[in-house]
Amino acid sequence: MSQDYDVIVIGGGHNGLVNAAYLARAGLRVVVLERRHCVGGAAVTEEIFPGFRFSVFSYVVSLLRPEIIRELDLPRHGLHILPLESTFTPLPSGDYFATWADPDETRRELYRHSPKDAEAYVDFGQLMVRMAMAVKPLLGVTPPDPTSLSPRQLRGLLTLGRHFHSLAERDLYALYKLMTMSAADFLNEWFECEPFKATKSASGVIGTFLGPRSPGTAYVLLHHYMGEIDGVFRAWGFAKGGTGGVSEAIASAARRFGAEIRTDAPVAQVMVKDGHVQGVALGDGTEIRAKTVSCSLDPRRTFLELVDARRLPEEFVAAVQRYKFRGSSAKVNLALDTLPNFTSLPGAGRHLRGSISISPSIDYLERAYDDAKYGRFSRRPYLDIVIPSMLDPGMAPPGKHVMSIFVQYAPYAVEGGWTDAQRGALGDAVIDTLAEVAPNIRSAILHAQVITPADIEQTIGLSEGNIFQGELALHQLFFLRPVPGWARYSTPIEGLYQCGSATHPGGGIMGAPGRLAALQILEESGRARAAVGGGRAPL
Amino acid sequence: MKHTYDVIVIGAGINGLTAAAYLAKAGRRVLVVERRDVLGGVAAPDRLTTGCQVSPCVHDVGWIPRQMVRELDLTRYGFQEMTDGWLVAAARREGGWLTLSDDVTRTAASLRTHSQADGAQWPRFVERMAQLAGFLEALYLLPPPRVSVQSMSDALRLLGLGRRLRGLGKQGMVDLLRTLPMPVAELVEDWFEDDALKGTLAATAVKGVLQGPRSPGTAFLLLHHHVGARAGMFHGRSRVRGGAGALVGGLTAAVTHHGGEILPAVAVAAIRVREERCRGVTLADGREIDARLVLSSADVRATFLHLIDPDHLDPAFVQAVRNIRYRGATAKVTLVLSALPLLRDFKGEGQSPDRLPNIVSIAPSIDTIERAYDDAKYGQVSQVPYLEVAFPPPGDSSNARHVMSVLVQYAPYHVRDWCWDAARRDALGELVVNRLAELFPHLTDVIVDRQVLTPRDLEATYALTEGSLSHGEMALDQILFMRPIPGWAEYRTPIEGLFLCGMGCHPGDGVAGGAGRLAAAAALKTP
Repeated sequence: MSQDYDVIVIGGGHNGLVNAAYLARAGLRVVVLERRHCVGGAAVTEEIFPGFRFSVFSYVVSLLRPEIIRELDLPRHGLHILPLESTFTPLPSGDYFATWADPDETRRELYRHSPKDAEAYVDFGQLMVRMAMAVKPLLGVTPPDPTSLSPRQLRGLLTLGRHFHSLAERDLYALYKLMTMSAADFLNEWFECEPFKATKSASGVIGTFLGPRSPGTAYVLLHHYMGEIDGVFRAWGFAKGGTGGVSEAIASAARRFGAEIRTDAPVAQVMVKDGHVQGVALGDGTEIRAKTVSCSLDPRRTFLELVDARRLPEEFVAAVQRYKFRGSSAKVNLALDTLPNFTSLPGAGRHLRGSISISPSIDYLERAYDDAKYGRFSRRPYLDIVIPSMLDPGMAPPGKHVMSIFVQYAPYAVEGGWTDAQRGALGDAVIDTLAEVAPNIRSAILHAQVITPADIEQTIGLSEGNIFQGELALHQLFFLRPVPGWARYSTPIEGLYQCGSATHPGGGIMGAPGRLAALQILEESGRARAAVGGGRAPL
Repeated sequence: MKHTYDVIVIGAGINGLTAAAYLAKAGRRVLVVERRDVLGGVAAPDRLTTGCQVSPCVHDVGWIPRQMVRELDLTRYGFQEMTDGWLVAAARREGGWLTLSDDVTRTAASLRTHSQADGAQWPRFVERMAQLAGFLEALYLLPPPRVSVQSMSDALRLLGLGRRLRGLGKQGMVDLLRTLPMPVAELVEDWFEDDALKGTLAATAVKGVLQGPRSPGTAFLLLHHHVGARAGMFHGRSRVRGGAGALVGGLTAAVTHHGGEILPAVAVAAIRVREERCRGVTLADGREIDARLVLSSADVRATFLHLIDPDHLDPAFVQAVRNIRYRGATAKVTLVLSALPLLRDFKGEGQSPDRLPNIVSIAPSIDTIERAYDDAKYGQVSQVPYLEVAFPPPGDSSNARHVMSVLVQYAPYHVRDWCWDAARRDALGELVVNRLAELFPHLTDVIVDRQVLTPRDLEATYALTEGSLSHGEMALDQILFMRPIPGWAEYRTPIEGLFLCGMGCHPGDGVAGGAGRLAAAAALKTP
């Protein structure tokens, strides 16, 4: 039987594109099939209102792996990441808290709120950098399976063991604490300044259905530090042209290596015969054949919709059904006539060039979470706001601005379902929350787009609107992600692979799953040498 | 009392007595000093105003390892495990009860009346939980595993655990690794559909911690409290004839039998340290007693911040001690009754239809507990707390009257905008009695005496820091090699000759004498 391609990649999100680029780079004939009219998945830039361009869903680049930037030569394909270095937290008291690009300035700001914290800040930073260095290599390796007895898996475990063994004992303990503690408890050991602790711990709850006092949320505190140590290539910030700019750059690299990218090409079925993948059938009935299919969709879409479940082991299907999505966030995109004016720090200062965080205290976040636990969206949500047009004026007409507001918590399973009225009420809650600290916001709004978890699911296909393709909870990480025993990108169907954020190391515009899956596919097809070229991240 | 001993044990709780018994049995001259005039620590009996003797602080001392019973020959001193059937009644929101017993088939049948699916799942769930708890059981009889292998014996210990882990099989291993960090709510939702069943199982996993059933890591606690229990028994484990007091009696007898001395009503004022070595203790009355080894079963913060001059400790160590999370969240209410109350709509089972259950668990759904936790999170007593009522085992002839021992979750130690005082204590008692009266009609008519222990009272009476009944929250970051302090998990301390032997150490609460036994072994290795 003739093969149309060597590999079919399902889904043209950033992971699918990275996956395709690496496979094409190794000389394989690759096609990417994207359901929508544009590539990018959750990392897209769209002109929602005339003249106003938005990073509609995902809005900051976090931890995009430097090896991917290097190996795919992304800057040459137009990738340009702008700095996002400050956070500004307006407070109900009329004061504010801020962290700045310059650590000394941040310390001075902390000192204003708590001299004790300013002192602890330095030691804390050093510890976190050491922790980040310890954890970062995990982002570049395929997780070994600790339940397997194969010599290969044991070797992988040993390598990991040796890596952690090389850490000082006290760093190991600190790392263990970071993995198991709540962000609030971890920060309580160091600091007392509420807005500082809240703003820091907010990063631990983004995208998950947990509050800052829930164990397991401390780990994400590391992400920012990991971004910092990535060094030469900026790994944390805005992509010029919006997050779609990242996808476009990767797509351009993939095309250059020879990959074909088709949009408006929804896959309806993964064809399987005798336990081997045969190719895919598109929505219009067209069949495309390939011996390898790499799917960047989440496991629910992949295994419960595209694949006939009868072709999968029962326990595997059960595990996929157990896998938790529970989307908890929404997005509000605003087209603004003028910049917001914060009562606590008026004017168009540099605080508008970083992120603006509505997170005055741990209790504030925790109460927002309480609403979500019982099926309501937060009446006073946590907001993570950026104004991309401040850094990249091309995003809005001259003098106007675009504002991107990430909203937590908006549970997918909201009571009564996500109706238009409910969506409107969520938008109101967000604007009301913001208006309390920036009263001019209401009159500044020209257009508003509110995206609920249900909208996210419907538009870009993320189950339950979970932005990470499944919760980043301790029991869904590393060798347990997405299905225990199947964390190494392969699946029970020969030739079918997974390469999306539902695989290790998870979501964010990191690209690591796409790359690691590609390396795994190449290794299993005996093409490892060609691919590794640029080198695997050394442990 | 002499001036010199080989070992002084501070505190005559179950762990202190256990450590003392092991050390005395090994031929050491041992002195146990106890601050209170009764022995037993949290298991100590209390004579309420009516002359009724109960252990108000705990109604379950947890798993009593067979190994300890054998090694200390406790049966010789009257220790006896009971074998009668165990019955738990779990409240349903719509009224009526779910009955769980230690008979798996019978429980499954009873569950089937509410949900066919749950009835079918029950035997499988029981088997799986027993298997996973079995791994913890092995872990709890050994000193905590080290993160860095330093010696052959470390390696062997890890290898042994590794083998035990692999013995679970691939599916079992995956389940264990996946289950420990899970929220208990998710665990029980994966298995069951009936709200009352999910609620009562989840409740067992939040006792004593300031976490709710939706908090990650609470599934570990369900397993932790299941260690050593009979299959299917998720509420109550220690089934000692005569109750907790009988275990205390057995251990006391073991200590004295081997020549150890136990002195009640003798408080330690300080642990004496010279040249970074422990030299003995100074008593509250000023007397000094010398000993080469001191084992403290007091909690870790009390030991290091109250009994030792901070000059002898590294500031980083002191900081780590301060960072231990205690934050007690449990209150205890003991009711002395003139007659056994009736339980509304409860129909007993089998041969004894009028029999009261051993435990009445009032958590009709996961959300009820989660909401109770929400109150505590912001420093308030739960408006609708989880209540677990235990009727002390029959056969305890010292009880002339009937007793209801009620665990109240959550009543936080750290409260906001108010403080625990007599009025608040009474209000808590009222709240509990009113809630119980809905389920036990005529209860108020038979109450003869009521004792309420708030977390503040637990701290004041039993010297439990922040009222923590487990000497520090049992949470993933405070167990195994992290307990009590990372780097000092093996009962030793920075002060040579000073050991810790209380619940603040591995394996924590819920294993009677678990820490005492392992601490004694560590102390015996000291030349």
